[in-house]
Amino acid sequence: MNTTVASYVQETLGLTPSLPLTLGIFLVACGALVGLMSLVGGPGTYAERKISADIQMRQGPNRVGPYGILQFVADGIKMITKEDIIPVKADRFLFTLAPFLALFGVLASLAVLPFSSFFTLTDLNVGVFYLIGVSSLVGVAVFLGGYASNSKWSMLGGMRGASQIISYEVPATLSILSAVLLAGGLSFGTIVKAQGALPPHWFLFHNPFSFLAFFVLFISSLAETNRAPFDLPEAESELVSGYHTEYSGMRFAFFALAEYIEVFVVSAVSVALFLGGHQVPLGLGNPDFLTGILGLSPTMAILLGQCLEVSVFFIKTLLLYYVVIWIRWTLPRLRVDQLMSICWKYLTPLALVNLVGTALWMILFGEKFLWDLFFSGGGH
Amino acid sequence: MFETTLFTLSGLFTLGGALGVCLCRNLMHTCLYLLASFMGVAGLYAGLGADFLAAAQLVIYAGGVVILMLFAVMLTGGSEDRSNRMGLEKIPSMGNKKTLLLSLLPALLALALVVKLVLSVNIAPEKLPPFESTVDKIGILLLSDHVLVFEISSILLLAVLVGACVIARPIRGKKHE
Repeated sequence: MNTTVASYVQETLGLTPSLPLTLGIFLVACGALVGLMSLVGGPGTYAERKISADIQMRQGPNRVGPYGILQFVADGIKMITKEDIIPVKADRFLFTLAPFLALFGVLASLAVLPFSSFFTLTDLNVGVFYLIGVSSLVGVAVFLGGYASNSKWSMLGGMRGASQIISYEVPATLSILSAVLLAGGLSFGTIVKAQGALPPHWFLFHNPFSFLAFFVLFISSLAETNRAPFDLPEAESELVSGYHTEYSGMRFAFFALAEYIEVFVVSAVSVALFLGGHQVPLGLGNPDFLTGILGLSPTMAILLGQCLEVSVFFIKTLLLYYVVIWIRWTLPRLRVDQLMSICWKYLTPLALVNLVGTALWMILFGEKFLWDLFFSGGGH
Repeated sequence: MFETTLFTLSGLFTLGGALGVCLCRNLMHTCLYLLASFMGVAGLYAGLGADFLAAAQLVIYAGGVVILMLFAVMLTGGSEDRSNRMGLEKIPSMGNKKTLLLSLLPALLALALVVKLVLSVNIAPEKLPPFESTVDKIGILLLSDHVLVFEISSILLLAVLVGACVIARPIRGKKHE
């Protein structure tokens, strides 16, 4: 457990590790991360509107601040000052609990995201499994939000959301398993370390099966975050806005924030599992190498390396985030039966085939990447 | 100190959730208390160093079982009104005199079992052994010593799947026009 934020900070500052100190550093890091993620959620809404405007040849928000960049701040203030309405017939206890549960599920999954080799809150050795567990809480929250509102639109949205989330967990988990199989470990650290920095040494291009597994995972995670073309739970043309129809003010904002952060989380998971994670090309993340070529002091070299790793991770993740938004504004929404048949008739069998195929590949070729097999004849 | 805090919190969650399940009259709320209890148990597992078990508890119970229960409760009408249109009580099992009397015997039996178990527990050594991951051990054991159990449980799951398909399948020849 020597690769977490706490141990890194203690090492660099030369402090003796003690429990209150570790706890303090953890708290600060958690606070920073949650703040950062809320910031991802805020501009996420702005990005969504700007990109959709771009795709539809409109202007998008352009009044508040330069290029409308402060729009999300204005939205936030509006959300905070709005009247908080709880319908009379609603189940008050569940109604208040649901938004918190949604945000809790998403924020809890941040604990294991590997932003860099040091900046991960904890590198659990069941990290991937833990992530699947806590993110399924969002399904409970969506369902409760729909049920507690006591409205037909919400109810339908909540039911669709819950059934969709538990269905698509199957192909998503099976595809994640093939990455786990390749790396031989459930911790994100192991999985990222098993990959290289450049595309030929990403798990995406490890073998044909893992190539497919990435796309199965990506499609399933679109469905799990209720993003178009799978945004049936909030299909605005039929269900007003689905499970959060009756929510207003900050409670609604919690649901929205949870959705945007979850999109970031699933993009980050795809990046960590299949796209090389935080690996920096040319060994630039390695502090020894940096000290060698730039003559930096070891502390500075580590810091620079970490910064590079974090930026690489964020760049990849935000690119995927862009793709998610792009898909939303390009593809039409599916029907419920199409959604289910895609999951159970196409993605799940495909994911199973991928899993078995990856295992066969491991038996036949060991852990060799496709690239190494063709070009360098091994050596990774 | 950390272990103690984790243990206390998880224990509170487990017991509080369990009490909520017993005392709450609204079935939907009961499911949520059950969720809290499950998460507490996951915390207890984590405190004992059973990392895989803790995560499995989260995935299977917190994620899967609670959602299924919520669905079941909702579809069978587990709302606040306790009697149906005919004026019959829908959930008598939650507090009839008869049912309470009936459940007394199993409760006593369970209590005796718990007491016996607790008394027979060896007091743990002062310090837990250093933490090591249980994932690979569980995996190896499951596919070597316990492979029969593993396969039988997968057959059970397959049977359940087939059964669900048979029940949900539209009856042949009775197509919706």
